[in-house]
Amino acid sequence: MSDPSDLVHHLADFSRALRDHGVGINMSDEADGLSALTLIDLGDRAEVRRALRTALKIRPRDLAVFEELFDRLWTARTGSARLLAQKRSVPVAGRSRPQSGAPRPGRDAALESVMPEGEEPGYSPEAVLRRKPFDELSPADLLAMERLLARLALRLATRRSRRRVPSVRGEIDLRRSFRRAIAHGGEYLSLARRTRAVEEPRLVVLCDTSGSMDPHARFLLGFMLALRRVAKSERSSEIFAFNTTLVRLTPFLRTLAPERLSRVLERLAAEVPDWAGGTRIGECLAEFVDHHLDQRVDARTVVIILSDGLDRGDIAPLADAMRAIHSRARRVLWLNPLAGDQRYEPTARAMAAALPYVDQLLPAHNLESLERLLPLLAA
Amino acid sequence: MRAEIATLQEDMERLGYIADPAITTALFLSREMRRPLLIEGDAGVGKTEIAKVLARLLSTELIRLQCYEGLDVSTALYEWNYQRQMLRLRLAEQEHKSADEIEDLIFGRSYLLERPLLRAITRREGPAVLLIDEIDRADDGFEAFLLEVLSDFQVTIPELGTIRAEHIPYVILTSNRTREIGDALRRRCLYLYIEHPSLEKEVRILRARVPGAGAALSEEIGRFMQALRRRRLSKAPGVAETIDWAQALLHLHRDHLDRETVEETLGCILKDQHDLRDLSGAALDPVLAEATG
Repeated sequence: MSDPSDLVHHLADFSRALRDHGVGINMSDEADGLSALTLIDLGDRAEVRRALRTALKIRPRDLAVFEELFDRLWTARTGSARLLAQKRSVPVAGRSRPQSGAPRPGRDAALESVMPEGEEPGYSPEAVLRRKPFDELSPADLLAMERLLARLALRLATRRSRRRVPSVRGEIDLRRSFRRAIAHGGEYLSLARRTRAVEEPRLVVLCDTSGSMDPHARFLLGFMLALRRVAKSERSSEIFAFNTTLVRLTPFLRTLAPERLSRVLERLAAEVPDWAGGTRIGECLAEFVDHHLDQRVDARTVVIILSDGLDRGDIAPLADAMRAIHSRARRVLWLNPLAGDQRYEPTARAMAAALPYVDQLLPAHNLESLERLLPLLAA
Repeated sequence: MRAEIATLQEDMERLGYIADPAITTALFLSREMRRPLLIEGDAGVGKTEIAKVLARLLSTELIRLQCYEGLDVSTALYEWNYQRQMLRLRLAEQEHKSADEIEDLIFGRSYLLERPLLRAITRREGPAVLLIDEIDRADDGFEAFLLEVLSDFQVTIPELGTIRAEHIPYVILTSNRTREIGDALRRRCLYLYIEHPSLEKEVRILRARVPGAGAALSEEIGRFMQALRRRRLSKAPGVAETIDWAQALLHLHRDHLDRETVEETLGCILKDQHDLRDLSGAALDPVLAEATG
């Protein structure tokens, strides 16, 4: 590894392999990697590994991929042998792009990365047959809902940040007051004031689309889509669907936003595997925790889960996942269509396991019950 | 291994910080490449401590900026001393000074209150260690501002002009990862993720920091902590908690762990009421068995 140009190639190939496996490395990181390598003992493989981890800024969630690629691709002594003959075909567990079969024509590129290839039949073998036509949400319902939401959307943005911004009312802002006074020869003719900024909430919605939720899921999801469109926080809100797997819907919505709601929903039902199939809440939420929690949920985020909590799976992962979500989010709301019934008790096993980590359990059987949700999304 | 990295490790150990090679390599690179080091990891794994040790190692001043939501430029960078300026202004009027003279007077360096960031770049005696603690608590806006300061190490104050760094400070940023740090800031820094220590490392830390605890008790404490972190906890205890606990046990004159002792002092290591409830009474026994067995 004495020839510096060899080192450059080596690093470039390694970085490309990382990128191919979804680790975000750009040119400036590569440059950092190179400067780091010139400073350390290149003969010490462990040191090279540590230096690259620091200089390429490898986060814990990318560490497994990094370690595996490093083991395979970074030989201790390259010399003249070009190392990465097989580089592009190295599969890494869980992170590689789909490789089997040609991509289906007509599918969104964004879809490719979020949709697992449909290899797993899940609970319900007839799931695919059960995709029903979209006729339950009437156009009149949708129109009424959008009008209502436009009116209510303003109520969303009411969280007060601790950040101060100039304002007509509020506490006195010395810095600006003094500035103004100088313009008047040192006389405080008027005082500048400041107040706490208003902050947009971030929303993360997790919608259960399993069979038992089917009559409700489309309506609830429609509600969330409309909410997302009228809310100013569109860019910071995320929607996921789950039943036996977790699917991030946000990329679809970006491309489909101007279309009519029903068309969007129709398209979703076609794309989500197992729409109206069985459900595995725990596994799906655990997957959310593993892959999305760090990135998409912070102290400003309200997490909304839409589900009836009827699950046949193991409840231990569910409780763990709920605990992790609850500890990170600003608030966790659980919307349960069954809760609309006066006699409802949250006794379903999954629901009971999740309940300690839910800030509020709310009914979601009609539009009126959803209206009550809005004030909870902020404040 | 590079000789300097090995030396750094010994030096840190001499000051009571048991560093593994990942930490020393990152520190070494950050020092050589003159780049800020962003350190992430759970609370209590010793992120802040690194900056403190580094300052002692370089015999320089540690300047600390604790971040919080709403942190703004006037707390982080500089503020004019308005009251003094006002007084001077009134005096100057009686002295019949011209407007320009007055302005020069009251916007002088002596009326400027230096906050941590400005102090770090104006320090004359040599580079300081600047610790920007818990950056994840500040808002995104502040992060963008910080990026600017950390890129150029110069600050523009409208009334004074641009102040360039006398010496570029060693910068360490820490984050508990309550939110993701923006890509731009992360790219500006080198990166280090610290995990909870291995048993061997944790016992060495204990021996260095609480020598009075003795080898046998330190080993038991270490094994107990390792066993504890393997459970599902909402808030896994860090090394800071281990050290607190060992000190508490020392004050109570305990030389080994039994159920009663652990129950009395569990509050030193578990700070979450769910965890405390889950691990009370008989639930402690399997953890204890792992520690003492």
